Amino acid sequence: MSVLLLLVPLALVLLIAAIWAFAWAVKRGQFEDLDTPALSILVDDDEPPPQPPRDEGDDA
Amino acid sequence: MNTVAATVAQASPIEATCFHCSEPLAPHAPRVAIDGIERGFCCDGCAAAAQWIRDARLFDYYRLRSAHAGRVEPAGEALACWDREDILAAHARNVPGGREMVLLTDGMRCAACAWLIDRALMREPGVIEVSANAVTGRIRIAWDPARTPLSRPLRRLMSLGYRPWLATGAERERARITERNRALLRLGIAGLGAVQAMMFTEALYLDTNATMSIPMRDFLRWIAFLISSPVVFYSGWPFIAGALRDLRERRLGADTLVATSTLLAYGSSLFETLTGGPHVWYDAAVMFVFLLLTARMLEQRARSAASARVDALARARPAFAVRERADGSREAIPLEALEAGDVACIAAGDAVPADGTLLADEAWFEESLLTGESRPIHKRAGDPVFAGTACREAPARMRVAATGPATRLSQLAALVERAQAHRPTIARTADRVAMGFVAALLVVAAIVYVVWRMHAPDRALDVTLALLVISCPCALSLAIPAALTAANGSLARMGVLPVGADALERLACVTDVVFDKTGTLGDATPSLADVATFDDMDHDAALRIAAALERDSRHPLAAMFAPFAHESVRATDVRSIAGQGVRGTIDGREWRLGHARFSANATDDGALWLGDGTRACARFEVREAPRVDAAQTLASLRALGLSLHLCSGDGEAAVARFASTLDLHDAHARQTPEDKLARVRSLQAEGRIVAMVGDGLNDAPVLAGADVSIAVGDGAALAQRAADLVLATPALHRIPDAIALARRTRSIVRQNLAWAVGWNLLALPIAAMGLVTPWIAALGMALSSLTVTLNALRLARVRDGVAA
Repeated sequence: MSVLLLLVPLALVLLIAAIWAFAWAVKRGQFEDLDTPALSILVDDDEPPPQPPRDEGDDA
Repeated sequence: MNTVAATVAQASPIEATCFHCSEPLAPHAPRVAIDGIERGFCCDGCAAAAQWIRDARLFDYYRLRSAHAGRVEPAGEALACWDREDILAAHARNVPGGREMVLLTDGMRCAACAWLIDRALMREPGVIEVSANAVTGRIRIAWDPARTPLSRPLRRLMSLGYRPWLATGAERERARITERNRALLRLGIAGLGAVQAMMFTEALYLDTNATMSIPMRDFLRWIAFLISSPVVFYSGWPFIAGALRDLRERRLGADTLVATSTLLAYGSSLFETLTGGPHVWYDAAVMFVFLLLTARMLEQRARSAASARVDALARARPAFAVRERADGSREAIPLEALEAGDVACIAAGDAVPADGTLLADEAWFEESLLTGESRPIHKRAGDPVFAGTACREAPARMRVAATGPATRLSQLAALVERAQAHRPTIARTADRVAMGFVAALLVVAAIVYVVWRMHAPDRALDVTLALLVISCPCALSLAIPAALTAANGSLARMGVLPVGADALERLACVTDVVFDKTGTLGDATPSLADVATFDDMDHDAALRIAAALERDSRHPLAAMFAPFAHESVRATDVRSIAGQGVRGTIDGREWRLGHARFSANATDDGALWLGDGTRACARFEVREAPRVDAAQTLASLRALGLSLHLCSGDGEAAVARFASTLDLHDAHARQTPEDKLARVRSLQAEGRIVAMVGDGLNDAPVLAGADVSIAVGDGAALAQRAADLVLATPALHRIPDAIALARRTRSIVRQNLAWAVGWNLLALPIAAMGLVTPWIAALGMALSSLTVTLNALRLARVRDGVAA
């Protein structure tokens, strides 16, 4: 049963890591808008826009 | 009218609405080939927007969207104000490479809009970053001022149909985000903690034969204690804080019960751990917190989605005021630039931008926002006027005394905010019920504890805990607000913004619908069919005078004359006389524009007359066609069992034509606002519950007098302010949809209440008999709350905008 003395703290460390990761994601605004990003994967926007946008429009 | 229908039918056998914004098509509508198919558009603005979207290869927008776009309005000169340094200094902040600003927009209806805005603005030169959020209606834009003025991307935004507004309450918005993030974090920690705590306590439960060594048992107990402490005190803090607040205010609420049972489970477990007792209940405490937080989060999500947009619109204030320069000319300036001592001009129907004193000889102001009194108050020169009140009947000038946070309105807004923290009336009823329930429950729990203590002392705490947990009246408290918020969210998505409190409840009971014709059943744009002049009056001069008289009016007729306005013709002392017309002085001569009896003392023939009160100078024949969806709307309303009425301020002929086209039997013409109100009152006296649909300036008192009022979106701002519901898009068929939804909401509220009460009546004796363990109780209670919430969420499902 002494293996528990290793496994239990390990579980606690993992728990803390999980909470930290979750807190990080929340702070970075990952849960801000749950609808819009879902759409952007449906569309490829790799092709460069042809004329209407001006020359340097796509640098960002 | 017949010719209109024919043209549309000829031009396009299938679509009768704009491809971009789904507004009814006018004859000779512009047509553009999109994706190989020729589409019709209601206006050049919409056509240009669709063309741009096509050329920019953002056509996916039309595939992805789940709601139609807003109508594209011409950008105008107002956008130039966005480049002013004083506006930017107050609202933008510096970021690496440029500046950043948060805007509100009213047209963002679905995620596809946010997607389109992101893509479209990113292509504007000088724009560094854009993020649009469809839920809150906010756009965050970062740009490089050296490469582009802000007005350029905003012009693009406007050309796509999204009007930018100045976002107010940045701190409030930040506070909201912090609050939501904290709630998410609480839920996350509760979830992760609950799983871990369950794991360790489960090991203790499984040790049925007591083979585990005492040190190992205590080790696991202490670990469970370690994990459940943050869950109970950090994640569960909202409940504890709520219980403390309840305690301070000497009342009992759902929070009291939650906190009592959580702390009881946690405290007694700690006691057992310290003394080496036989049982711990850490799992019950954490599960309870986690499941309740989940239910609460779901409820909040439904509510915030609903309120975010209404909220955003309510907070969007006019960014600009009209200032009169020393030479008498006018300029539009940002609200911030308005200073004490300036002279501001206010159009009839518009809001007063600041506190100050009246300069015009006399004017009428509606101060309902400040006083709740919806009747306009007559003021004379020198009287104080207040920001946020609405100027009625006639335009006015004022000298500004206080602006911004110093105004009474701002002080009032702070008050309103405090009031909003409290729940609306119906929700409070549920709370009152819950309170009596909690008191009774605590008494029952005490009795059960004593009884069990006498019979089986070791199970007394267990049973009492289970009893407290299982009968938590959360489901009862959730039953009404969850349904209301979900329904409000659906309404907002349908384009019906619920503005007044408990509008839905009253809407469900409606038996009669009264329409005001101008602009509601008709397509809001009247057109000049014919102009006849008399005596020596010149055709153009007559139009110019009419345009000058209507200049500051928000009546749909004003727009009709607007193209004929001329700088050389200025009207003073302009007053609109409700239900009759406008009166004003031009070059020392009095002019009247309105129906024949008012303008020319002649018999009313339904046309618009220009005269001086005795003599006629010109006659304008105005036509207005019914909206494309009017007939269909009326049919659906009849199908819902409602009786329909028409009360119009227009002439007999026009009303009769409308009534016969639309098969309306109860139609009244030439109604003054007083007549309309009397009509509504007499219906109410018969025990009918009346919904009033209106849009005009003169409808405001009637809207306020009806049981439920619905204002059509493009009507005067004043009418919207007096309404319970505002149709954001001028699509009439939303009205029967909204009524059907209100009725469904009512039945779901009843189901929820029955369920919650039934559940508690059933669970209480079972728990009192000791047949339930605390953690099963926690699960059952949360399931009951979730059932209620999920049942309510059925209201949030709207089939492609149609709820029926």
